Amino acid sequence: MDTLNPAAFVNAELLRMHVGRRVRAVIQVLRNDDGSITGKSTDEQELVVKGHPSSPPTTFVEVIGIADSNRTIQAEIWTNFGDNFDVSSYNTICQLANGDFKHLFI
Amino acid sequence: MYGNSQFDGSAAFSGGGFMPSQAIPTADPSSPAKSREAQGLLPLTVKQIREVFQASDDKANFLIDGVSVNNVKLVGLLFEKTERVTDVSFVLDDGTGRIDCHRWVQESLDTKEMELLSNGTYIKVHGHLKGFQGVKQLVVYSVRRITDYNEIPNHVAECIYVHCYNTRTRKMQDAPQATGQLPNPAVNTPSKGYQPTSSNHSQFSVQPIVDGMKGIDKIVLNYIEQPSCIGKENGIHRAELAKQLNVPEHKIMEAISSLESEGLIYATVDEFHFKSTVNG
Repeated sequence: MDTLNPAAFVNAELLRMHVGRRVRAVIQVLRNDDGSITGKSTDEQELVVKGHPSSPPTTFVEVIGIADSNRTIQAEIWTNFGDNFDVSSYNTICQLANGDFKHLFI
Repeated sequence: MYGNSQFDGSAAFSGGGFMPSQAIPTADPSSPAKSREAQGLLPLTVKQIREVFQASDDKANFLIDGVSVNNVKLVGLLFEKTERVTDVSFVLDDGTGRIDCHRWVQESLDTKEMELLSNGTYIKVHGHLKGFQGVKQLVVYSVRRITDYNEIPNHVAECIYVHCYNTRTRKMQDAPQATGQLPNPAVNTPSKGYQPTSSNHSQFSVQPIVDGMKGIDKIVLNYIEQPSCIGKENGIHRAELAKQLNVPEHKIMEAISSLESEGLIYATVDEFHFKSTVNG
């Protein structure tokens, strides 16, 4: 990440607005396949994250990377967010950070 | 009776031994936000800092949303940690930008605090914003690892809230100064692009509505107290108030009922016309 390429907070709904750009999202891990992880976004939809986490993922993981499509992210940075995470708060700030208050973030 | 709705300190205390050095009327535009917030801690994003830094000629004193920036709080990922003898420098990346940080280490406690942190971890920092040779920097007082990751959306929410609060406070202070046509109080910010769902929007706008009421009361009262309204025998019709102030009529009605219960205005010929209880 650098100053010229910030990462927008996204859920599944907002991901499509940022295809091709750097995004960050928190997902609840559902399946751990070879080379990718399938997870549930904060707005309850399935997303696929390509790449390898640096350590075994916890229930919630934040990924920062490039949005490949409406449903996939090519991850660069993985951060374990533990097993207790308030998904609805995160979802709300995704909406605010892309809506009325976009100018504070991107 | 008491001349106006605002507490006049010098009038209340004159005649006794105690004289306040300065009577500060409640509608003083310069006092509330700046004096209260001058020593406070502002949660910010790197983007907000970068923007104000680029726009500001004076690289020593910054204002964000009208509030002077002294102590700031940021949350983000730590990168490029470099340990030296007397200080540790690193870069904080919060997803909106990167900022250089400096932590002076004088005691072993400080050194230990910094040793625990490695590149790629989420941290929260408290520090002071500084410009050095044209480059913005954060002189950091405290760095702590994030252990509960709910702090990240919490920090984002705080940034949004404080931004709203400061921009609305400024609008409210500007409003009573103008006569006649006034801007709509910022209770519902116009949406640009993606519209958040209505339930979430109301969750965040409960606070502004409460404060907005008082602002609207003030605006309505100021208008009714104008000589042109005092001169009218029957006072002013509430529909005209709505039109002149560019405020929805139901909000005018709410303001009127609260001002009436305070004894600041009264209904004249019918329930639609109101006058101020102050006789100019």
